Amino acid sequence: MTYFMFLLLMALVVGLVAVASNPTPYFAALGLVVAAGVGCGVLVGHGGSFLSLVLFLIYLGGMLVVFAYAALAAEPFPEAWGSRSVLGYVLVYLLGVGLVAGIFWGGWYEGSWVVVDGLKEFSVLRGDISGVAVMYSSGGGMLVICAWVLLLTLLVVLELTRGLSRGALRAV
Amino acid sequence: MNPYRRATLLCSVGLGTTLTFASSHWLLAWMGLEINTLAITPLMAQHHHPRAVEATTKYFLTQATAAAMILFASTTNAWMTGEWSINDLSNPIASTMFMAALALKIGLAPMHFWMPEVLQGLDLLTGLILSTWQKLAPLALIIQTAQTIDPLLLTLLGISSTLVGGWGGLNQTQLRKILAYSSIAHMGWMIIVIQYAPQLTLIALGTYIIMTSAAFLTLKMSLTTKISTLATTWSKSPILTSTTALVLLSLGGLPPLTGFMPKWLILQELTKQDLPIIATAMALTALISLYFYLRLLYAMTLTISPNMINSTTPWRTQTTQTSLPLALFTTAALGLLPMAPAILMLTT
Repeated sequence: MTYFMFLLLMALVVGLVAVASNPTPYFAALGLVVAAGVGCGVLVGHGGSFLSLVLFLIYLGGMLVVFAYAALAAEPFPEAWGSRSVLGYVLVYLLGVGLVAGIFWGGWYEGSWVVVDGLKEFSVLRGDISGVAVMYSSGGGMLVICAWVLLLTLLVVLELTRGLSRGALRAV
Repeated sequence: MNPYRRATLLCSVGLGTTLTFASSHWLLAWMGLEINTLAITPLMAQHHHPRAVEATTKYFLTQATAAAMILFASTTNAWMTGEWSINDLSNPIASTMFMAALALKIGLAPMHFWMPEVLQGLDLLTGLILSTWQKLAPLALIIQTAQTIDPLLLTLLGISSTLVGGWGGLNQTQLRKILAYSSIAHMGWMIIVIQYAPQLTLIALGTYIIMTSAAFLTLKMSLTTKISTLATTWSKSPILTSTTALVLLSLGGLPPLTGFMPKWLILQELTKQDLPIIATAMALTALISLYFYLRLLYAMTLTISPNMINSTTPWRTQTTQTSLPLALFTTAALGLLPMAPAILMLTT
């Protein structure tokens, strides 16, 4: 189990490197899918199975799919992770990850490369499920504000892209 | 912009700041900051020209980075100590990251580089909102967490901000960039004293908001954005020219105007805390800022620049802009110094 969590966390960092290295949006979306997927795996490993399921369904299955369709804008020269400009970024980020790991863990021989096991309990009301329930009851005000923020984001995006080719954000 | 959309966005900006003010949980405070950033983005890009869109993009990227850092720091703090509340930051890594993120949000040096470029790309009213209202929420968080942050970091941020604010503004001819550097310098004054007397930070913030609003509204009234156009405002509105001269001196911190109050009280507090060298450094850097305020004053009031006067002086008709806010802020920017004891009592 420990090694499985280690694998998932490593895959998370590699997925983030894949997104941050500026490939074409096709491949960046793939990197996001991988990162979010293994992130869900990490969540399950820590006991939040309901949250992980919700994340998979709504984020990956809803948001990311819509984003992938929208981001499949016509890209005449798609650049994957092998092309020169992107590969440079990939190598630099991986080097950075190794460097930071070296600084914080004191080299490859100190510090644990694998996660520390937490408490394992089995109950009907897990933390994540009751968390959702609390969000709807005591956290009602915050829920309303979150809903307003989501609506606001929609309004902001619509306002910024208003006007098609005459608007603020346009394909130049 | 459609008035409904503008009203919705302005109300959301207000909601964001209010949420941050009212929260004791880091997640809610972060939400308020993000609402602020989101809602002001279309307001900044409303004039759809490339310069405004570039400024919007830069602002959004820096503020989003700062908000992500705040989220990271709060989750680190929660992981290490289990505390989500704003007042209980016991982890030094988390508190330092918070300070860096909040410094990026308000434009303290050395995280100030976005400020002049962003302000330059905006129209004057949006620039005013950016310089005044958007500083309130992060400063509220800084005031609440200042006791747990490394004192050296706060002092370094303060002194480097006043230095950068002074030196950076010296070579500028565009008024919005000058006001951006002036904002950086004033933020430096606010941060330096926050660990000793937070009420002085509040006074400095209040007087800064009043003086900057007066400055921005004056520029909006006379529609000037450069020193060269500022030099011809004497013929359009002589009264505005004379009051602006005094507002500029108030920004520079000269007695007997309002701007002297925060500087005086802060220098007094620093000397009381046995930090004479820091106090001297702050006073000297304020001199540098004073130089470019004086340059603006000189160009506007003390000389008449060589101008081809092809016509008679323009008709001075009644302005169509609302002048009440300008009148209020100018009066406050010039006359509040005698009320210093009352203001101190209000903020303690």
